[in-house]
Amino acid sequence: MNILSLFNYWAVIGLMMIGYYCVIVRGNMVKKIIGLGIFQTSVFILFISAGKVLGGSTPILRDGVEIYSNPLPHVLILTAIVVGVATTAVGLALAVRVQEAFGSIDDDALDRHATEDEA
Amino acid sequence: MRDNAILVVIARFLIPLVMLFGLYVQFHGEYSPGGGFQAGVLFAAAWILFVLIYGLETGLRVIPAGVIYWLACVGVLLYCFVGLLGVILGGRFLDFYPLLDSPHTAQQAGIILVEFGVGVTVAAVVMLIFMQFARRRALCEKAGITFDDGTDA
Repeated sequence: MNILSLFNYWAVIGLMMIGYYCVIVRGNMVKKIIGLGIFQTSVFILFISAGKVLGGSTPILRDGVEIYSNPLPHVLILTAIVVGVATTAVGLALAVRVQEAFGSIDDDALDRHATEDEA
Repeated sequence: MRDNAILVVIARFLIPLVMLFGLYVQFHGEYSPGGGFQAGVLFAAAWILFVLIYGLETGLRVIPAGVIYWLACVGVLLYCFVGLLGVILGGRFLDFYPLLDSPHTAQQAGIILVEFGVGVTVAAVVMLIFMQFARRRALCEKAGITFDDGTDA
């Protein structure tokens, strides 16, 4: 067990921080949604890595195989991927509507729009 | 983008390969990683690549919008039908053993049919999501709705 044997988890940390950075720093809503997608991917890898049993095979019953990987995280993540597609579609639809209503999907421009309306 | 020779040549080369890989993932899904969800998305991705190169109108000539709606429903119905067939033939919901005499063949046939239903629905729904985004502007202009989208300001 050296530091490289935890490579999956390092990848998870890296992807999670990249996604988090995109979500909080970028003002553009589409880029925020892309960041959310990267963040989601890191969570998927975390779960799938946790479900892997070393030396285990795919969880299909057959002869000559004794150890199986845990199929539960795979099923959970399959659902999470589908939910991720749906949330991305809803987020993009909201971005389209915001663009149509205010002429911009940038946070700063929308802030200016709001303060102009107040004034 | 129809004028860009590199894009057109690469896309014409890639689209059949993406579709073939989608079919492989679909029909190999019972033994290896894969199945209806992944294959459906791959198949829809091939269509979306086609639309990006040739435009939405050409893409909708390949599969009309009505057919996509229809396919999205047919996939779910196929899934439910195969599931209920097990109940009718004396098993439980999604129980494939009563479908055929040989249990091994019955299990394979059931899982292939169910995954095919999933694949068709997922492909159709992904195409629908893309189509609704792509043609929204044109539909709004046709209906006479204009938006403050910053282009004229």
